[in-house]
Amino acid sequence: MRGLLLSALALTLAAPGAAAQTLRSFSTYRQWHGETSMEARLEFAAGALRLAAGRPNELYRMDVLYDGDRYAPLSDYDAARGAVTFGLRAEGDGGLRVVSRNQLRQTASVTFSPRNDLALAVALGAVDGDLELGGLRLTSLELEAGASRATVRFSQPNATRCRAATMSSGAAELTVLGLGNSRCDRIAFEGGVGRVTLDFGGAWTSNSAVSVKMALGQVTLRLPRQVGVRLTLDKFLASFEPEGMVRRGTSYLSPGYDQASRHLDIDVTTAVGGVSVEWEGPGSTGR
Amino acid sequence: MRPSRAVLALLATAALLVPRLGWAAPRLDPTGARTVKLVHGFWSLVSDVTGPGQDGQTPHPAPRAIPPAPSDRPPVRLDDLSNPSSVEAALRTALRPEDGGVRVTVPNGTARLGDYSIASNESVGGHLLVVQGTADVYGKLLGNLVTVDGDVVLHPGGVISGDVLTLGGEVRDEGGEIGGEVRTFRTATVLAAPVAARAEAPGALETVFRRIAGVAGVFLTLGALGFGLVMFGRPNLEVVSDTVSHSFGRAFATGLLGQLLLLPTFGMLVVGLILSVVGIVLLPFAVVVYALLVIVAALGGYLAVAHAMGETYTRRRLALGAMISPNSYRYVLVGLGALAAFWMAWSVFGWVPIAGNLIRGAAILVTWLLATAGFGAALLSRAGIRENFAGRLIPPEALTDEYLWATPQFGVSAAKRPGSRTPTRGL
Repeated sequence: MRGLLLSALALTLAAPGAAAQTLRSFSTYRQWHGETSMEARLEFAAGALRLAAGRPNELYRMDVLYDGDRYAPLSDYDAARGAVTFGLRAEGDGGLRVVSRNQLRQTASVTFSPRNDLALAVALGAVDGDLELGGLRLTSLELEAGASRATVRFSQPNATRCRAATMSSGAAELTVLGLGNSRCDRIAFEGGVGRVTLDFGGAWTSNSAVSVKMALGQVTLRLPRQVGVRLTLDKFLASFEPEGMVRRGTSYLSPGYDQASRHLDIDVTTAVGGVSVEWEGPGSTGR
Repeated sequence: MRPSRAVLALLATAALLVPRLGWAAPRLDPTGARTVKLVHGFWSLVSDVTGPGQDGQTPHPAPRAIPPAPSDRPPVRLDDLSNPSSVEAALRTALRPEDGGVRVTVPNGTARLGDYSIASNESVGGHLLVVQGTADVYGKLLGNLVTVDGDVVLHPGGVISGDVLTLGGEVRDEGGEIGGEVRTFRTATVLAAPVAARAEAPGALETVFRRIAGVAGVFLTLGALGFGLVMFGRPNLEVVSDTVSHSFGRAFATGLLGQLLLLPTFGMLVVGLILSVVGIVLLPFAVVVYALLVIVAALGGYLAVAHAMGETYTRRRLALGAMISPNSYRYVLVGLGALAAFWMAWSVFGWVPIAGNLIRGAAILVTWLLATAGFGAALLSRAGIRENFAGRLIPPEALTDEYLWATPQFGVSAAKRPGSRTPTRGL
């Protein structure tokens, strides 16, 4: 009996461990050779993503730690167009490795040179993203978020004029901070399900038109007091709290809208959910 | 006893060596590459101990050109490095050593083994592949550069007009100029892949031992649970066991019905608690308790079946005159041994085509049948609380001492169980 137990113990100890997930490290960058503009498309299927301004002498850089069994790095620069496509793309079986805790360890750090104009398109899958766009020379932004939780920041004013920022999400939680620093003429958001927070703080240097479409979820608008805000709402089964706004016709206006030097026109369309307004600065009620 | 102990010790030793034995055969390498790798490993160990070696990596082979591959082998194209994974895959195939060592054809380029340097007054045209060596660029390279298990060092004034890809290395830009894109895999499996691929497939012997270990582990756990049940809940175990013995058909039918109703009952429980509003607070606890009850019923029922089987076998042996002690510990142990026999048979013969699958199917079927009956018996007897269930077809007045002593049960004269509870039937 004792021998049997010892044998079983020996067999158990001798059994090799389960195969582990193979995480690989990949880096790509390109030296800055006086380029004045670049189009960049970043595709990231799953994991944690950090994006920010980088070294001036590097046009772009991506350092990624990824699941080598399911994803492949992508990095292709088209010198003729001045366009780069990079990121991580699902390969083979693809999808998420839901049984592994290492799934969350897939990370990417992406930087762009602050010297040249940048037209940025970002496609996120199941991603925990932190995109710091302040300090870049952003001429346009297209953000597609699948089932992601992403924060987009404009901590510093955009160094150039931005034509448009277009953001869309499937089932996501999206927070955009400092849209006043984005210097975008048009800002559009289109969401399916989830929660979106749009913070319009920052240094406003021009007027801007904002369009928000949300099917099901919560929309929070953080508005600056120094800008005249007009809010037009089209809702079905959604609640709305016009915190500190005055109704004029079909729109809601911020106090002193007519006297403000900069104007922010926001159109919100939502089916089910809620729209709430928070005010920034002295006497704020929301933050 | 001594020989059997020796056999067991031998078995344990063999088990410890099995993974190594399983891998030993495929690792035989007629080209001697394994020996070379062993020597490299030794020298890297020595260099690690004595101090940092060249670039902190394993020693590089003597520099030389890699001859072109035979025409029947596909070339490795380095024109487009935008998909580094495919380049890696192509190199993995191309760099597999054959009779005459490594041979690679690089269209519009050259391939080098070991360290390689481009001098400051030198200009190299075409793509460059450097394997197991550091590429030092002082001069100009008019093309793409790929290294395998080696770094790229771009010195001040050095120029690479195209892209750079390192597979198992890094790029150290010390002030040179790279016209294209830099891509770096810090680790790569280009040269290690064949060994890794062979190591993945476990041998048949290893599979057998792993299965035996798994089955032994499961049944040892069940045995420990069974002993605990006998120690702390013997009356309940005996009642469930009797229910299985005397009403197997009804126990199985009840168990089957119970399995079918598990989910609907759970759903009704959850909905009921939610509708009652107050019950929402109890929902998490109710879910946990329900799951625990199901597990206890299934596990306890299975152990009760083992108990019943062991009891039947032991009493038959007693009837034949064997001098053994009839107790519940023995019953559980014998019963679990019988149940484990099916799975042990699968462990040993599972690798046999067709028969292996048949044995596994039989083991699954028998286990399910008995577990269902045990689960049903646990339900019928209310986990052994309703102790007169198994004997309810016999009127209580018939359960006289004469009846109990005179009525044979499975060929054995019935005997009263030790303990204070009222006998249910026959025992």
